[in-house]
Amino acid sequence: MDLLAQVLANGVLLGGLYAVMALGLALAWGVLNIVNLAHGSFIMLGGYAAWYLFTWLHIDPFLGLPLTAAMMFALGYALQRGVLNLIVRAPMFNTLLLTFGLDVVLSYLAQIVFSADFRTINPPYAGSQLNLGAVVLPVARLGAFTAAIVLTVGMWLFLLHTRIGRAIRATAQNLNAARLYGVEPRHLYALTFAIGCALAGASGALYGTVSQINPYIGATLTAKSFAIAIIGGLDNPLGVLVGGLFLGLIESLTALYIGPTWSDVASFGILVLVLIVRPTGLLGRTA
Amino acid sequence: MKRLRPLAVAAGLVLLAGVPWYGSDVLVQFGINALLLAVLAQGWNIIGGFTGYPSFGNSVFYGLGSYGVAIVMVQWHGSFALGLAFGVALAVVFAFVLGAPILRLRGHYFAIATLGLAQVMAAIIANVPLAGQNIGLVLPPLNDDRMFYELALTLLIAATATVYWLTRSRFGFGLIAIRENEEGAAVMGVDTTRYKVLAFTLSGTFSALAGGIHAYWITFLDPESAFDISLNVKMIIMAVFGGAGTVFGPIVGALSLSGISELLSSEVTRVAGLFFGIVIVAAVVLMPRGLADLARRGRRAGWRYFIENIRANRL
Amino acid sequence: MNALLEVDRVTRRFSGLTAVNDVSFTIGESEILGLIGPNGAGKTTLVSLISGTLEPSVGGIRFQGQALTGVPAYRRARLGIGRTFQIMQPFPGLSVLDNVAVGALFGHGGASGNLASARDKARSALEFVGLGKFISQRAESLGGPGRKRLELAKALAMQPTLLLCDEVMAGLTPVEVDEVVALLRRVRDRGISVLVIEHVMKAIRELSDRLLVLHHGEKIADGKPDAVLSDTTVIEAYLGRRRS
Repeated sequence: MDLLAQVLANGVLLGGLYAVMALGLALAWGVLNIVNLAHGSFIMLGGYAAWYLFTWLHIDPFLGLPLTAAMMFALGYALQRGVLNLIVRAPMFNTLLLTFGLDVVLSYLAQIVFSADFRTINPPYAGSQLNLGAVVLPVARLGAFTAAIVLTVGMWLFLLHTRIGRAIRATAQNLNAARLYGVEPRHLYALTFAIGCALAGASGALYGTVSQINPYIGATLTAKSFAIAIIGGLDNPLGVLVGGLFLGLIESLTALYIGPTWSDVASFGILVLVLIVRPTGLLGRTA
Repeated sequence: MKRLRPLAVAAGLVLLAGVPWYGSDVLVQFGINALLLAVLAQGWNIIGGFTGYPSFGNSVFYGLGSYGVAIVMVQWHGSFALGLAFGVALAVVFAFVLGAPILRLRGHYFAIATLGLAQVMAAIIANVPLAGQNIGLVLPPLNDDRMFYELALTLLIAATATVYWLTRSRFGFGLIAIRENEEGAAVMGVDTTRYKVLAFTLSGTFSALAGGIHAYWITFLDPESAFDISLNVKMIIMAVFGGAGTVFGPIVGALSLSGISELLSSEVTRVAGLFFGIVIVAAVVLMPRGLADLARRGRRAGWRYFIENIRANRL
Repeated sequence: MNALLEVDRVTRRFSGLTAVNDVSFTIGESEILGLIGPNGAGKTTLVSLISGTLEPSVGGIRFQGQALTGVPAYRRARLGIGRTFQIMQPFPGLSVLDNVAVGALFGHGGASGNLASARDKARSALEFVGLGKFISQRAESLGGPGRKRLELAKALAMQPTLLLCDEVMAGLTPVEVDEVVALLRRVRDRGISVLVIEHVMKAIRELSDRLLVLHHGEKIADGKPDAVLSDTTVIEAYLGRRRS
């Protein structure tokens, strides 16, 4: 029983982080109709950004989150305006290929610039734990989870209550709606993609505090983000949060009851099953 | 011009078939790799280029073909031919069982479902003792690159002949109609589900055969390399770069990209990888319909061809 | 006159909305049946139910005495039901000729895999609709009126016994409308029954042997064109639409 409680707690903590990882992917997919295969690489870059901030400038990864997010925001804006915008109206297949190309470029650049070594961000509290009865919560994981929830809920509020947020939601339905909010569509697209990128970067920083970063982590993280976006739907960050928690729990439970090597079978199997049974996502609308 | 074409093809074939007799070992090894990639690109062309379903699941067939050969030869001590047959059988079963539900999905959803399948299969194989779990299997070595080369070439010819047949058969017309407009095809009498599953199976069969040959040649495989998704993306890029939905585009794409990447990787491997990514980005932006279209229309339009492509797709 | 197609109390609902409600009618051999009604009356839905793109929620359809329930669209096409789409759906990347050849290869009685003879059939269908000069163009390069004719040629190449025409005259000039009316008459003279959805009232009155009026998914009139068009319910349905 204690073991189960611990595994459930692990699953929830992991799931929160998963949610914020998938958030940017779902946003770009829902609004720009771009399925970004380079998403995992953005997460990876965010992780490196946080690692360098911590290692060189001794900035705590949590305090440095805004900085990491800002850097990734700038990168995302530039990439959308400069590259993705060139094919945004092309058939979906071309956008898949292009973002895969970006993914290849980013991961090889990372290998050249950062080397293939594993990196972990080790703040002083890395080893500390919080004991809640039988359940042990590592502080770093708890922090990452909290930050992830704050980001996800913040994103939800932003989309609901700000002018830009409303413009983004309206644009998901109709590109020209952006104009009604006084935003130029190209700017709005770049902004949306940049926000997605910033979220990916922030999640990468959080990921770096609880796990290892290397140039190759992108592909798996992209695939997991897909699964979450498909399960949670694209139109609501809270749906993505549910999707993330769901996947985190499934993975943890599979690892406990069937074996750790089966957790990938479970998460991707669920992705395929959901697609076959309910192509519009388990919760709400998908694109 | 038209009459010269068969002659040119025949001459090219003789030249290609002769490589193991006049080429260096390095060239033959490069050739085996490039030919197998061309087979993969050509196989993908059937489901992706002709039927319009962007499969990211062809690496599953490749993996099944590889494991078919490995399991038969290592675990059951059977022959290579038997292994190939077993691999193809696995691929066909997979295509039939999962084809119908997966091929109901369109666009992104199909692409992602197939991507997910590739991950699932890799994860499943990593747990199957018969397949050596995540350690993999080591095949008995066979030092006969000439045989592997000619086998790969034969397979490529078979794949290309199949694709050529598609351009002039009722079946192929049905596939193209599905690609162009699936609902329209159905009301005109095309049995879309059956055709899609058959195209998926045919496409998978070639991938499986390529995987089987590659496994025996390399003599080692593990789940990660056998179900590698970037291999799937490679076949797509090569097909699209050369011209998806054409007979020779995927071959041209595969051989030229393999060549360039080989030249670069003799310098630095990472730079070759980087270059590959840049080629993808540039090709999708500048010539989204591939070399075949560039050759057809670019000649007249000149550099404006690229501008027009950008103009058509940007916001 | 024998009934070629019998539609028996067919209803189709889309999550809450009833697009077609308890509609019954028949089409006889070599008959031209006009189907009219205000926008959103359920005309296109009805055609989709017959062609098999949609299945009815309730009710059944029989073609040449055979129940069509559960018969997929492609099989209905092979039985001899051809249709055109209101929103033109050519195979954009194919030549005009090959667009039509698909119909000849797969349509009614098109079990032969012979590409050359399919192209011959396609050529004659294109001549028939007046597109003979455009056979080697890509379909997407045709203008609106050309695409309407292409839709017709594609359906005709299937050698249907029943042709469903969804607004083949919309957006055409009066001269072109007259040409299409003449064309459809010649189609009927070949022994093909035709169901025509149309807004061009003059054309449909001239063309139809019988008129069927849908309003809010329900059949409100069925009979000789002149009688139907002077029916007060029908006039109200149309005037009501104008007022709103």
